[in-house]
Amino acid sequence: MTKTSRILVGPAPHIHDSQSTASLVWGCVLALVPALLWGVYCFGVGAALVVAAALGGALAGEGLAGLARRRFSLLDGSAFLTGLLVGLAMPPGAPLYVPAASAFFATAFVKGAFGGLGSNWMNPALAGIAFAVLNWPQAMGAWVLPRHLTGVVGISGATPLALVRDKLASGQGGSDPLAILEAAGQSFTGLDRGVTGFLNGGLFERLGASLPQGYIDLLVGNRPGAVGELSGLLLLAASVVLVARRMIRWEVPLSIFASYAALVWAFGGLPFGEGFFSGDVLFEVLSGSFILVSFFMATDPVTSPSTRLGMAVYGAGVGALTFLLRSFGSRPEGTAFAVILMNCALPLLERLERPRRGEAAK
Amino acid sequence: MRFPKTFRHGGLTVDLHRDWRGAAPVQNSFLPSTAIVLLKQHAGAPSRCLVRRGEFVREGSVLGKPESTGAAQVHAPVPGVVRDLKRVRLPEGGECEAAVIVLEGSFDRLGKRVEKYVWKSMSRGDLLQTLRDRGVVEAEAPGRPLFELLQARDRPSLLVLNGVESEPYLRTEAAVLAERGAEVLEGLALLRKIVSPEETILALDSTDEATIARLRELAAELSPQPEIRILEPRYPQDLENRLLEVLAKGRKRAAQAEEPKGKGAREGGARESGSREGGAKEKASGREKGAEALFVRPSTALAAYEAVVLAKPFVDRYVTVSGGAVKNPAVLKVRIGTPIGDLIEECGGFAGTPERLVIGGPFRGLPVHDLDAPITKQSSAVLALRPDETRKSRRQPCIRCGRCVDRCPERLDPAGLYRRVAAGRQAEAEALGLAACTSCGICGYACPSRLPLVEALAAARDKMEARR
Repeated sequence: MTKTSRILVGPAPHIHDSQSTASLVWGCVLALVPALLWGVYCFGVGAALVVAAALGGALAGEGLAGLARRRFSLLDGSAFLTGLLVGLAMPPGAPLYVPAASAFFATAFVKGAFGGLGSNWMNPALAGIAFAVLNWPQAMGAWVLPRHLTGVVGISGATPLALVRDKLASGQGGSDPLAILEAAGQSFTGLDRGVTGFLNGGLFERLGASLPQGYIDLLVGNRPGAVGELSGLLLLAASVVLVARRMIRWEVPLSIFASYAALVWAFGGLPFGEGFFSGDVLFEVLSGSFILVSFFMATDPVTSPSTRLGMAVYGAGVGALTFLLRSFGSRPEGTAFAVILMNCALPLLERLERPRRGEAAK
Repeated sequence: MRFPKTFRHGGLTVDLHRDWRGAAPVQNSFLPSTAIVLLKQHAGAPSRCLVRRGEFVREGSVLGKPESTGAAQVHAPVPGVVRDLKRVRLPEGGECEAAVIVLEGSFDRLGKRVEKYVWKSMSRGDLLQTLRDRGVVEAEAPGRPLFELLQARDRPSLLVLNGVESEPYLRTEAAVLAERGAEVLEGLALLRKIVSPEETILALDSTDEATIARLRELAAELSPQPEIRILEPRYPQDLENRLLEVLAKGRKRAAQAEEPKGKGAREGGARESGSREGGAKEKASGREKGAEALFVRPSTALAAYEAVVLAKPFVDRYVTVSGGAVKNPAVLKVRIGTPIGDLIEECGGFAGTPERLVIGGPFRGLPVHDLDAPITKQSSAVLALRPDETRKSRRQPCIRCGRCVDRCPERLDPAGLYRRVAAGRQAEAEALGLAACTSCGICGYACPSRLPLVEALAAARDKMEARR
């Protein structure tokens, strides 16, 4: 008979679900790798260094906070994920101290100081991003064009959101965002022309519709932007996997999208001199950090509600605030701050969802 | 008429690990050369030991006598010499005396022709007395003596033969129904004679088609005919609250169908609030019925049959021996007191390194570390689980993922209760429904941070009950 000295006695249940907190976190990290690789392909080694600096800062922050609390927590992956998210939200041209300091701030102060994983009340990655935006606004606008569009690394260029905003502000508007981009001299890639032509010829024509040029470039990520936010396609594909494996909840991104899309559609056309219900939802969703933030940051379970009603309200809030911040804020991007604001409202949302009593207790 | 097949809220559909279903029919396990018979194999206090060291006992002679309610007679499962009387620790906590019997001498029953007693002419009192004398208790935790249970729930509105086996790995009840269906139903018939229920339901879940067909045939011979309900395999459908929820709902619908239609048409806008009210009413009536409903496991019914018809004390039972670390999983018919190590050896020994040994199911079973731990009247299974089945991982802080909340069949917030209990805010936890927790184990299974939710809530509930 085999030795039984290794038998462990512990309370029931004796079996567990295959997912653990660490596997959830590392799963998210893995899901972000394609987007990271695309960023590095577009922006070269500089982008990789930005992300590496953020990872270093995050791990250093977590390690120091762990030392202070005498709890070793580097291996649970949460600091790594925070660092990765901060790095992915950085412009590829940012000086390396920006991602490093921001990620350090995120893990050491926003997370570690409050007691580490599970105790923070604000999403640490978003707090890090906000920290960078507030401290180094110039560096956080160091956008560059993807090198396969120009053939050269490091030609600066504004993000589509920023460009459209500037043109509108200076009165050089157009009827819709893509027209403004085209007027500003942005050319579309062959891929975009090909796919758009194919879709229009094969599918949309029969439905009596036509897809303007430009969206495919935005979806694939042929545009300036933060290292990891470029390719909505890769991010969405990764999200589908995460949702299907129940590693993130679909309710939050869906609710964010629904509320944001409704507002953009209703009012988004106004700045372009168009009427109500003419906003360009596709452009607004694809051209900023919307997808990255709503699928990978707003879904952080620690800082989002845990019941459906709570998630719906939370997501609706994020969507509405994103619209308000993007429309009336001082910066073209507003998703990160919208989520942070809703993080702050979490205790109120919690009130909404309780109490949930057992029948027998009545 | 479509009946619901499962309960409404929470629960789990998990891999049942019963791929070996088509395996060999149930065998009698080898007789234990040394049987360790606990004097507590029931809900109440240990029975008083009647034998001395060195004494010879016959098969079926009384070893222990109950001295309080909740306790039951304990019989010698094998003939032999009482080599030792020792105190052993119980897997559920605490300790009790155990008689160690070394197999010796001849069997009085084994291999002999059995005579069948006619029970139909016996009085209710005689039947109850017989169940008491033969030490018949529930064949699962907590193991209340059957005669006490029958007395307490006389004339129930519903008697349920609970063949639902929703814990993974287990197929003990399925095997009992497949192999001893006729005896189980005769046992059920004699229980019906004792308590005269208004209605009888056979609840089954993953039993195979052939067995279901056979049970239908057998049930048709009973009068009044019991209803057979086939439910969806879903954990924890075997718990009385959940099972009652499913069965009561079907009964209510059936009653509604008989009523003349007319007020059925409801306005669309009012539907939601209307159905919610309906749900609350249903729950209320379900709870009332809960007090009246009587649940019996097939194993228990079989023990009752054998006690009355074969005049045989409760000295053996069907046990599932399974888990990834057992080479050839099987269901065995086992003498009470057989050490679990003997059973695992009989099933080919360990395959790989077991990380955990469990008596009972993987969700609610008791952990043991000792291969000498004996089978009792409540041991439905022996499981040896590998690390890839237990999937232990480091405990982490709660990340508020809400999985426990989603899956709790009692609609509790386990993480919230845990947080309060851990902070010493017992009263708050109680106000949030702590008492409704059944320790089904789902929250602990689902928690990615592996928080000791079940353990902490059970401890808090004990505290609550101790205060009463």
